[in-house]
Amino acid sequence: MTWLVAGLLILAALSGLLVVITRDPRRQVYALAGNGLVLGLLFLALEAPDVALSEIAVGTAVTPFLFLVALAAIATDRVGR
Amino acid sequence: MSVRLRLVVLILALLALAPAVAHVALALPGFGAPISPYGQAVNALLPELRHVTNMVAAVNFDVRGIDSLGEECMLLCAVTGATVLLRGARGESGAERAGHVPGRPVIPRADATVLTCRIAATLTLLLGLSVVLHGMTTPGGGFQGGVIIASGLLLLYLGEGYAVWRALVRGPVLALLEGGGALLYVLAAALPLAMGRPALENILPLGTLKDLYSGGLMIVVNAAVALSVTGSFGLLLLEFMEETRAPDHDSVPDEEGR
Amino acid sequence: MSALPWFVAAWLFGIGLYGLATSRHAVHLVGCLTVCQSATYVLLLGLGFVDGAGPPIFYDHPPGTPAVDPIVQALVLTDIVVGAAVSALLLAVAVQVQKRRHTLDPQVLRPLRPPESTPERSSR
Repeated sequence: MTWLVAGLLILAALSGLLVVITRDPRRQVYALAGNGLVLGLLFLALEAPDVALSEIAVGTAVTPFLFLVALAAIATDRVGR
Repeated sequence: MSVRLRLVVLILALLALAPAVAHVALALPGFGAPISPYGQAVNALLPELRHVTNMVAAVNFDVRGIDSLGEECMLLCAVTGATVLLRGARGESGAERAGHVPGRPVIPRADATVLTCRIAATLTLLLGLSVVLHGMTTPGGGFQGGVIIASGLLLLYLGEGYAVWRALVRGPVLALLEGGGALLYVLAAALPLAMGRPALENILPLGTLKDLYSGGLMIVVNAAVALSVTGSFGLLLLEFMEETRAPDHDSVPDEEGR
Repeated sequence: MSALPWFVAAWLFGIGLYGLATSRHAVHLVGCLTVCQSATYVLLLGLGFVDGAGPPIFYDHPPGTPAVDPIVQALVLTDIVVGAAVSALLLAVAVQVQKRRHTLDPQVLRPLRPPESTPERSSR
């Protein structure tokens, strides 16, 4: 195992921890995007460019955006009543 | 159950499982040793059998094509479920105005943002198309390309604002893409059956290795997946965005009738 | 050292479970679920990795050069895309819970019961 892969694995473990312990959902979105980016780089290091492409598009763009919009919808609902 | 009790139960369960997990992890072959002969067989055989260079796409669209059809159906079901949940409670009418939380300032977009987003959105859409088209030769394919195209739609929203975005991105078109892609996949699987061959058997000419046209029927399946994933994620983004629009008065009352 | 990926996968799954058990916000809960999912990606891709091998794409190097396992990559690839759609479905459920019950705390949410005390309540 190269140091690159080992370091990225440790980073993935830490960023996963960060996602869980960030209790405020609005901040968690950014932790989630960071986790997606780290996982994408890890998959690239694991010789899986297809998966890395998919993870970076889904994990850093689409999923965090869906979370943000869901939070916006929830905030709109809380204000509306 | 209180949080503390749940935590205690979880810790007890994890403590009970930990030795088993450690045992399995230490018994697995070390990282970097090949464990499955199938993957190596695919690498050795498929470039010649299917005339494609991207083995991951070949596995997805040919070797486990029926399995991918199942995944495609899961995608369709999840997106349909989310759409029904959101639209069912919200109503079909579309306000063209974004909702606004009172007390939060609305900052107008800078011209630089609009310009950057227009350029970046075009480039992202082109990149997505390129990733889809080169799915059989270089990293990419329908799943990734579809998501990239859908995330290009986000940049359109960022640059143009809610009203223009709603005018550009049409729900029925996205729904048509999504369902049409799934239907195309089913047809690609069923056509060989109608000819008395196994489902998804490659009935088109295979093309040449490293060419844009390589892989025969896989190209059709790849295009079907690309259409479906683009439609699915576009529709998801649209439905969630609709949730944040200015409230109108035809929404369904909640449990307390409010 | 060579068992590190398996322990990272187990850690990600365990920490995700911890988040699921202690979450006080439904949206946070969906985020923890994606961490649990990422454990399977790390495990599968780690299993498919071969030392000194290239990616399973024979465009730049000829077929026959050593390459990592493409099958686990295909599994993970579709799972990421479908998993995102499932997360979206769960977020849609969370938005509906907020609209109907006005809270997203799993501790506060009570099971659905037939209306007894308020007969004028909407039947929907």
